[in-house]
Amino acid sequence: MDFTFSEDQIAFRDTMHSFFAKELPVETIRKLWENEAADASSIRADLAGKIAEQGLFALSVPEDFGGLGLSDVDWVLMTQELGYYGVTDDVVDTAYIAVGILAGLPDDQPVKAEWLGRIAEGGVRVAVGHPANRLIAHADRADLLLLWHNDEVHAVPAASVQVSVNSSVDLGRRLCRVNWTPSPATRIADAALGKSLWADALNRGALAAAGQMLGLAQRMVDISIAYTAERKQFGKPIGSFQAVKHHLANVAVKSEFSRPVLERAAYALAEGQSQAGEFVSHAKLACGEAAWLASRSGIQVHGAMGYTWEVDLQIFMKRAWALDAAWGDRAVHKNRIADGYLRADALLGAGNTFN
Amino acid sequence: MKVLVAVKRVVDYNVKVRVKSDKTGVETADVKFSMNPFDEIAVEEAVRLKEKGGATEVVAVSLGVAQCQETIRTALAMGADRGIHVQTDAELQPLAVAKLLKAICDKEQPQLVIVGKQAIDDDCSQTGQMLAALAGWAQGTFASKVEINGGEMNVTREVDGGLETVSLKLPAVVTTDLRLNEPRYASLPNIMKAKKKPIDALTPEALGVDIAPRLITVKVEEPAKRQGGKKVADVAELVEKLKNEARVI
Repeated sequence: MDFTFSEDQIAFRDTMHSFFAKELPVETIRKLWENEAADASSIRADLAGKIAEQGLFALSVPEDFGGLGLSDVDWVLMTQELGYYGVTDDVVDTAYIAVGILAGLPDDQPVKAEWLGRIAEGGVRVAVGHPANRLIAHADRADLLLLWHNDEVHAVPAASVQVSVNSSVDLGRRLCRVNWTPSPATRIADAALGKSLWADALNRGALAAAGQMLGLAQRMVDISIAYTAERKQFGKPIGSFQAVKHHLANVAVKSEFSRPVLERAAYALAEGQSQAGEFVSHAKLACGEAAWLASRSGIQVHGAMGYTWEVDLQIFMKRAWALDAAWGDRAVHKNRIADGYLRADALLGAGNTFN
Repeated sequence: MKVLVAVKRVVDYNVKVRVKSDKTGVETADVKFSMNPFDEIAVEEAVRLKEKGGATEVVAVSLGVAQCQETIRTALAMGADRGIHVQTDAELQPLAVAKLLKAICDKEQPQLVIVGKQAIDDDCSQTGQMLAALAGWAQGTFASKVEINGGEMNVTREVDGGLETVSLKLPAVVTTDLRLNEPRYASLPNIMKAKKKPIDALTPEALGVDIAPRLITVKVEEPAKRQGGKKVADVAELVEKLKNEARVI
């Protein structure tokens, strides 16, 4: 079995890496965070247009609806890049999670063709209101909201909901309370179909959060390495001291051990394996731990200054903290793993590792 | 009008190169490679010419090891129509590259060849000029602006004193400077489409070109480490050091 990524997958990742390195430098994130900046909305619109031109929104839209028809395995590389550069949730919510729900609808559902096509073009944002998240990310800037109601899926236009914004520790993350009224006109999937669509959405949401946290962990390590190479004490860069090196080496080890867990989860989800849920929860926990360790160690090697507004580390650590609690907190995912492995028909043992 | 673009596979500009222990060159094992940045500008310019209707076909050419196909694929994803790969594992020096490109020009008959002004690995800045000389074509080097009017083109060049505009008769060779354009990113759909575009495989032998190196690399060394500065107490000490240590006054 070949577990390596294909040339195309690597090319996609490298392209987005170069793209975000240039188009979303940390100075731009700061401007977006400081919302009062008069040019924030124009920066956001400009960036959104460029991301759309790159075709990221079309990544997993089925080819019949104008997309590239790629899978969760392709997204696992993308989400790491989105995390590394601190890209806001509206991108992954629309392009990955909402597309997953819409693609699971029957073909005769008109919402499917209309919105998959519009998402593939890149001009719209869709917010996803999953019961795992008490607040809905970026609902105030969404064109369409996919909302849960007793396992049904409802597609509600932005004009039909009332939204109030709730502040988040991650200032790039617009968390919203949404008031809305379900009706037969908004229902696009009944409870029977909806239940499986929402279950898949939870897996995709948790997997996307895990991928982003792994990317964030790498970014925090990179920022910390740059700082420790520059900051001098006793006439030497502090990064040359073993105690500082060990902090960052611990993060690197945690990250590297999380990566195969994340990739296995993506593969299991793409292949529809019965253990996909447990694997995704494992990935969320492992990547979350790597991100938390990266933020804690980052603060330490910055001489406890890493938390301050002036240091870039704070942007990425806050994003990691926010994502760790999104799409099911640790308790939720530990319980999912426990339930999976304590089932009577649980697939246990080395022989079932790659089923 | 057919436009030929030469693209070189070089060590990525983000990589901090290290000299081999035997000082015969730089380490290339386990190092990321990508397209020479000046060649990206060349591809972008060719694709823009095509989009404006000035060119009908853009052909990307790369010479060297099998992995050069990846560099050609990048050019195809940026908008080139097809690729030509001249495969060889031998060392290629600028004269050999110019001769190979000349042989391809004889075969393809392009009206315009665009190449980067230099590659970031050897910094030779010779290939475009040698190609123009071998083909007997006009050349516009270090271009910061290119305009085509029928069978002629105006190339604005960045020279020491400012900007110089030269008028060339086609066919011609243009080498690109940094400010000619800002290369686009290959979009994800275009990376997919690039897989279906053809790449012709050739060899130096098939083109009848002698690529034997004419130059020998004697030694490769890292630049000397910069000496730290010194603070002086007063003007008298500064003058004394300039006179006796630096010996500049």
